[in-house]
Amino acid sequence: MKLFLSGNEAIAFGLVEAGVRFISGYPGTPSSEILPTAIELKRKYKINAYFEWSVNEKSAMEEVTAASYANIKSAVTFKQVGLNVAMDPFMNTAIVGTPGGLVVVSADDPGPHSSQTEQDSRFLAFFAKIPVLDPSTPKEAYEFSKDAVNLSREFEIPVMLRTTTRISHSREDIETGEFNFKDDTAVNFNKNTDRFAATPHFRYLLHKTLNEKIEKIRQKNDFKEYFDGDFLIITSGVSFAYICDIVEEYNLEGVVKVIKFDMPYPINFDNLQKKIGGHSNILVIEESYPVIEMQVKNRENVSGRLNGFVPNEGELTLDVIKELFFKCGIIKERKEKSIVAPPFKRPSLCPGCGHRSAFYAIKKVFKNKAIYTGDIGCYTLGLNLKAVDTVHCMGASVSFAFGFDKSFSTFGSKMPVVATIGDSTFFHSGITPLVNAIHNRASFLLVILDNATVAMTGNQKTPQDKTDSYNNTANAVGIENVVKGVGVEFVETEDAYNIDSVTDILSKAKEYILKSSKPAVVILKHPCVYTKEGLKENIRFEKVFVDKDMCEGCKVCIDNFECPSLIFKDSVVEIDRSTCINCGQCVVSCPLGAIKVKE
Amino acid sequence: MKLVILGVGGMGAISLSKILARVAINKNLTVKSTEIHGMAKKGGLVEIYMKIGEGASPYIPQKEADFCIVLERLYYDYALNLVKSPEGIILLKDDDKVKILKEFGDIRFANSFILGKFFKKQNIFDRKDAVGVLSAFKMPDKNIKAFYEGVK
Repeated sequence: MKLFLSGNEAIAFGLVEAGVRFISGYPGTPSSEILPTAIELKRKYKINAYFEWSVNEKSAMEEVTAASYANIKSAVTFKQVGLNVAMDPFMNTAIVGTPGGLVVVSADDPGPHSSQTEQDSRFLAFFAKIPVLDPSTPKEAYEFSKDAVNLSREFEIPVMLRTTTRISHSREDIETGEFNFKDDTAVNFNKNTDRFAATPHFRYLLHKTLNEKIEKIRQKNDFKEYFDGDFLIITSGVSFAYICDIVEEYNLEGVVKVIKFDMPYPINFDNLQKKIGGHSNILVIEESYPVIEMQVKNRENVSGRLNGFVPNEGELTLDVIKELFFKCGIIKERKEKSIVAPPFKRPSLCPGCGHRSAFYAIKKVFKNKAIYTGDIGCYTLGLNLKAVDTVHCMGASVSFAFGFDKSFSTFGSKMPVVATIGDSTFFHSGITPLVNAIHNRASFLLVILDNATVAMTGNQKTPQDKTDSYNNTANAVGIENVVKGVGVEFVETEDAYNIDSVTDILSKAKEYILKSSKPAVVILKHPCVYTKEGLKENIRFEKVFVDKDMCEGCKVCIDNFECPSLIFKDSVVEIDRSTCINCGQCVVSCPLGAIKVKE
Repeated sequence: MKLVILGVGGMGAISLSKILARVAINKNLTVKSTEIHGMAKKGGLVEIYMKIGEGASPYIPQKEADFCIVLERLYYDYALNLVKSPEGIILLKDDDKVKILKEFGDIRFANSFILGKFFKKQNIFDRKDAVGVLSAFKMPDKNIKAFYEGVK
């Protein structure tokens, strides 16, 4: 059957078709749609499998490693920075190997479009000494997923499938296989402490085994050749598809020869060297780091990132590659044109988002006299309300608050620090630094913005939910219990929409942290209005409007409340009816009382 | 064929691209698309590139698109940078929106309407190809009616 699948959907189809029956992961753009597609397949075809989100990438990586020890074909999915979180088990899984087979799907985000880094996961495959497949289209993502499962199973080595935003979020017509899902899964764990609980004494032997595996795979790893010119281009991944488009547009079939690696690590050095020996002009084009390039033995005639010819940052778009072809004379002329960017609109929290009300109250109490440590999620956009000063990585709001508190109290004078973190991010990485704050007597305010969902990446469920991804019963983990359990004494919970009451609680919390040696935690709940249920249950007025006679156009509401539905037009503020959800939260932001509601 | 769709989040630009893909697949043509959207969920620009029956990647350089469907007036000027010629722009006008709301009661029928406008301009698909796909939709009668409204 021919389906129009995104790269992420194609990966899920490929994995499940190849017999993967255990998938875990943590959401993160551009990887988030892989696991839900697998969940949908399990539901639709009644497959006996465990496909479910985990609390973070490290746990997910460990869960699937154990599953592979138990002889189950497994996979883990996350974005590239998620792989960083999973690095510890990832490195060791490579050393020990994966009896049942394990595919590590890591989604890179060159650009970056929605990430902190432009890192290349292929480099971490290189570092861990495991093979990595790098698809150039969604169709290849589908094929390579199946290849990855089989290769992993054959060599008992984890295999990385590296995708990028352009693959994950592109769609293509793909002929999928028959979904009869014969089950050959047989759970079984052959105990072997020399392998699965090896002491350092035995580790070098495991390392040796890993080296032998990767050498065997290297010998088998052939490249593909396309076109027949003198100018040699070495590539992999999405860059290959762009190069093909340029070759077609400029009729370069007799000008360039393209060598493509489906598997950019480990490459067969000697075969490649033989191939490139006769060429005096060689260009390596690969997204994002010089992984293939660094494996070329003799780089005398090679241009790429290492000699600065290919830019070392930013996405390698088709336009960038075309420019490189022009610079090295492959194409003689190009239609002179500059690239026009679309009208820019600053990203903003949704109209009616409870986080906005929370940030508004926080700013009201702490003004510009606090350090605001933020975190990864929608609430990063607290930036717009000037209530976020730092954003680093998952959970860092809490540990940064610790670091700022200790720095100022040790080397200066006490400084109020307010950390903001979402519910899912708190479970992911916020609990551990809170334990440290309790034990080592740090005092700051931690505001947990609880919208009961992972909103940023498509509203996945959090550990607080009473149900799992299949709407079956799950055990809900209460944030308040966790916080009290580690020893926090000041714990208050309120709906973020009750701005007056929230302001009172925050004022008390401020007093508390200034004289206490423990952190205070305020949990501000409000369901995400981007979900159907959240929007349905959200309080709303018949109409929110600006009294034009009273509005003086001071823009205090726009500056301080920063709702995209507040727009400035003809020297007064008005409400954008097409986006406003009539929550009435902006009313408090007008010093003149010009924003009104009709009940 | 190289086609770009410009819309705003939540307006159904992605559904429109999926309908077109289904029409292409039914005709045994290859189809590729890529979506670019910003961080803002509601009201942000959604940019979809599609190649039907050609290409290795779905990316379309500026000034190379044969057609550009613009679902929001705001992006008309930007669309001029994407197409080979302004003739290739298919705009959902504000008047059209009013008309659709009045006649069909839901702005989402604008997708079938603009599909009709697009079908009138292009020459690789027959109208019955689109009707076949729309028939499998919820409320097929209304969607097909909106489609023919656009073809008019």
